[in-house]
Amino acid sequence: MDVIPSLDLLDGQVVRLLHGDFARVTAYGDPEAVLDSLDVPRGSRLHIVDLEASRSGKPVETEIVPRLASRGLRIQAGGGIRSLADARMWIEAGAEKVVIGTVAADAPEVLRSIVNDLGTDRVIAAIDVRDGIVRVAGWERDATASLAEVLARVEELGIGEVLITDISKDGAMRGPSFALYRSLKTKMRIIASGGVSTISDVVSLSRIGSVGACVIGRALLDGRIRLAEARARVATPNAIPERIIPCLDVRDGRVVKGVNFVDIRDAGDPVECAIRYEAEGGDELVILDISATDANRSAALDVVHRVSESLFIPLTVGGGVRTIEDFRALLRAGADRVAINTAAIRDPQLIADCAREFGVQAVVLSCDAKRMGDHFEAMVRGGKESSGIDAVEWCRRAEELGAGEILLTSVDRDGTNSGYDIELLRAVTSIVKIGVIASGGAGNVEHFRDAIEAGGARAVLAASLFHDRRLSIGDVKRFLASEGIPVR
Amino acid sequence: MWHRHSCLCSVFRRVWIMKTTLIDSSVANVANIARALRVAGAELEVTRNPKSIASAKKLVLPGVGSFIAAMRWLTENGIDTAIHNAVSNGASLLGICVGHQLLFDSSNEMGATSGLGLIRGEVRQFDGILPVPQIGWNRVAARGPLFDGVENGVFYFVNSYAAMNAPDEIARADYGGPFTAAVQRERVFGVQFHPEKSSAAGLRVLRNYIAWT
Repeated sequence: MDVIPSLDLLDGQVVRLLHGDFARVTAYGDPEAVLDSLDVPRGSRLHIVDLEASRSGKPVETEIVPRLASRGLRIQAGGGIRSLADARMWIEAGAEKVVIGTVAADAPEVLRSIVNDLGTDRVIAAIDVRDGIVRVAGWERDATASLAEVLARVEELGIGEVLITDISKDGAMRGPSFALYRSLKTKMRIIASGGVSTISDVVSLSRIGSVGACVIGRALLDGRIRLAEARARVATPNAIPERIIPCLDVRDGRVVKGVNFVDIRDAGDPVECAIRYEAEGGDELVILDISATDANRSAALDVVHRVSESLFIPLTVGGGVRTIEDFRALLRAGADRVAINTAAIRDPQLIADCAREFGVQAVVLSCDAKRMGDHFEAMVRGGKESSGIDAVEWCRRAEELGAGEILLTSVDRDGTNSGYDIELLRAVTSIVKIGVIASGGAGNVEHFRDAIEAGGARAVLAASLFHDRRLSIGDVKRFLASEGIPVR
Repeated sequence: MWHRHSCLCSVFRRVWIMKTTLIDSSVANVANIARALRVAGAELEVTRNPKSIASAKKLVLPGVGSFIAAMRWLTENGIDTAIHNAVSNGASLLGICVGHQLLFDSSNEMGATSGLGLIRGEVRQFDGILPVPQIGWNRVAARGPLFDGVENGVFYFVNSYAAMNAPDEIARADYGGPFTAAVQRERVFGVQFHPEKSSAAGLRVLRNYIAWT
């Protein structure tokens, strides 16, 4: 999949409009300075949108094209192209392609004349969609044709590429409309646009077969996505499999599972469960010790030791880790990685100390987050008590301190089978570079997909779902593979 | 492709297998590797005695953490010389993770540090396009006897450094660009990943090494 930087131009400057509103403008400065700061290499495609033209219908930014083309950039220009004469102006100025929006939806005969004159490979059809309805004229009114009709019309003309923007998502950093792109029936190469705000969004789009490219605007300008990193990730989309992690909650040496951290049920012998999970294809095992007393903690060490003796996948252990010595004892017992929760909130330096002593790969921050009005709070004591700390900010801080990964549990969703909290996941995955393990709420295979695709999780954890054999790890992996998500 | 480990190895326990000598490096996760080697069918000796190492026929060199510390431990205990003696007497050798990196001419960790020089090339830090360390599973494209049956396997990596495009490369993976996942030069093998954490695919690599003559 190609990753295409996008610049919106107004009065010769790079700008962004929120929700297409000309009254809500953010300015980023001179286009060439912006391109320098984004590190756009020669040979790249560059998408430019003439915003004034998209509103008034008259191209005004064409003089920038020769300057950009002289940097070896392949320009695709759009905004307000409503006649063959407009389209020619861009091509004569040095643009490789023109992006035709309004007339593609409203005036098929004009689109046809442009294609006939310039050739199909010079034309990208652009369709703006809000809530499944095609929108035109700078997003200020609905088109007369349906999305399916417009797509069919464009495809019939022999156009190879169609740029589809979900304008309810555009510039809002909430992620692209994966469901929309999945649902489209067309042989054309789809260029996805709107809402791309994390590297993970780019990777997720690259896994949708019909999506051949995506354009990124604000997320590049804001530094949320580095072009080189995005291109590196999509160059080998199948190299790094996403992980499915079964979790054993262990109390007094037995596996248990609670709903919303209370109402705990016995679910079996940990060693038997661990062996079954590895055989089913679990990529890692998490053991959370929820013992109530110190005496029972040494029983947990014994469980860790016995499980690690039978396991040939990485083992992460958490629960009740208060000191660097607790951490060391779990590693000695056979854990590869140790998750710290309450103790790290009380003493954040513990993360840094453990990272220095044992390496960042060994340190997992376990964060139990609970929605409190418009934000999430980090909970302590097994999700029972609020710490008063913002969970998202806490995850960012933990990365800085040296955590190698974050195990992010939604206390609200835990045990409910109603799906992972995508909003919580996005809030964290959009600001940390380390991996996030989604936890709490798995109920069906789509939930796993959504946590990875829309939530940006690099691993997905579930406990009761696998214990109760309502789903097997194999079921989840087969579904993810069928959705284009690489698994081991 | 999924078997219980005991099933994987039962066939090999019936045939005669040369003793495998695991170097008991103080900086390494020796216990995990020992367990995996035994499950993969090895008759195992775990030692840090240079004489035993020098006379070994099939060696495994583990390693985690820093290249410099691991190399210093080898030289201070005379194990570097013992490994060279064993290899020149026809022993085979498998380096794992940092043990794999130690096989190379050098590493650029903290300037340049010399390695054992059994494998040509240099170990370098990842270029930073993707977060380091790499922690997790990665798909490997491999060839040769060590990867018999797992030529397109997925293995578990924890590393910030790797050889890139090594002349003795037998397996390649990609992490923001291609890197060398395994090497072989005559009887000397190295794997950048952790076979002891790579489930059935990792045990298969160990079994292939144990069975290789």
